[in-house]
Amino acid sequence: MNKPSLTTSLRSRVLVLTATLAFILPLAQGTVDEAHDYAMEAATPFVEQGYTVREDYWNGEVVSGQKLAIKHQLFKGNEYAFWLGTANPDCELELAILDVKGQPVHMERKAAKQTVSVRVNPPKTGTYTVVFSVKSKNERGVTWALAYGYR
Amino acid sequence: MKNTFAFNWMPLLCGVFATGLAFGQGSSAGVEKFDAGKFPGFVVDEVVVPVPSEIFSVLDKLGSPNWKDELRKIKLPETSDRIELSLVFGDVVAEGFVAVQAQDKQTVEDIGRDVINLAASLGLTKAVRPHAQSILDAVKKNDWKGVRKELDQTQTTVRASMQEMRDDDLSQCVSLAGWLRGTASVTSVISKAFTDDRAELMNQPMLVEHFTKSIAGMSPSARKHPSVVAITKGLTKIHHDMDIKEGNISQDKVNSIKVTCEELLNMINKPEPKKGK
Repeated sequence: MNKPSLTTSLRSRVLVLTATLAFILPLAQGTVDEAHDYAMEAATPFVEQGYTVREDYWNGEVVSGQKLAIKHQLFKGNEYAFWLGTANPDCELELAILDVKGQPVHMERKAAKQTVSVRVNPPKTGTYTVVFSVKSKNERGVTWALAYGYR
Repeated sequence: MKNTFAFNWMPLLCGVFATGLAFGQGSSAGVEKFDAGKFPGFVVDEVVVPVPSEIFSVLDKLGSPNWKDELRKIKLPETSDRIELSLVFGDVVAEGFVAVQAQDKQTVEDIGRDVINLAASLGLTKAVRPHAQSILDAVKKNDWKGVRKELDQTQTTVRASMQEMRDDDLSQCVSLAGWLRGTASVTSVISKAFTDDRAELMNQPMLVEHFTKSIAGMSPSARKHPSVVAITKGLTKIHHDMDIKEGNISQDKVNSIKVTCEELLNMINKPEPKKGK
């Protein structure tokens, strides 16, 4: 099974550093593209299980430990997997999917080096919230990329 | 461990979204900061629009739709209007997803060629040709999953190229028309065999709000384009049809969404002559 493409994806770029933070933070180690590479590494076993990886994804740089939230449409009947990657070593990654009432709906959290993934069987069709953070032990700025797939 | 993180966030999310929505309209894309006192983070205000096959796959699980019935012949317009071309591009790529679902090789090949022609009109041949060729190669091998992947890549590459050229308005048009075409085919399938489970797939008001907001953020000239004006009105109607407070979306509402999408797609494929011409 082919590894998901790393080169031709649309960069749904989200620059999370504010102008102020850009001045006070050192450049995050690695790039957002490398963060996406890690996310795709986490996706590989899911692809082997029949998941289709979306080419579109979110990424950016952010203050270490900063919590982020993304709204996303999911369809009941599909199984989804979300993969969060960072180019920064020695990070703690958190990733959760919440329903409209803020209840967690994710399962099977899998963490590996610089990645974390969760699986979701949405109980209803509608808007869900992906909440996540990347906390570095050594750096103030970190990269991140969040991708998803379905089957 | 996993739930600890989730539960810590739970009480805070309502405030996040209330704030996000309150300041969302008309603001620039990116990240909206909200009340740190209520929520210690950012809402990433960037929406990834699902591809049609995400919904088609659910419909396949709920029954066996006749996808060949859903195929439409798209006649490429003779125009140099880049907004119209971008809308047709999104429509054509979404039609490709329908053709893949129908496993109609000839239509997918035709769409591969249409994609190349439209890319040439938009000045994006270099970016798109490899994908179009991959679509044609994959369909020859009956690699339908590969065709889906390439269609997704084609759309994302085109949108990325447009964004790099600071043509964000065009990028939004590609996305919009693709969603309209996907929604037209989904509502058509649901209308033919209505069930509450199928109708629930139309619970997508967040996506409609995203498109409405995208149009509001377009340049004045793009916002005033006749096709964009008509789409804005259509989205308002679709949002009204989707906005069900309780219960399920009715068959009438599904039909109404279908009619609105089809009218907009007809307009996209046969744009009204411009005034003064």
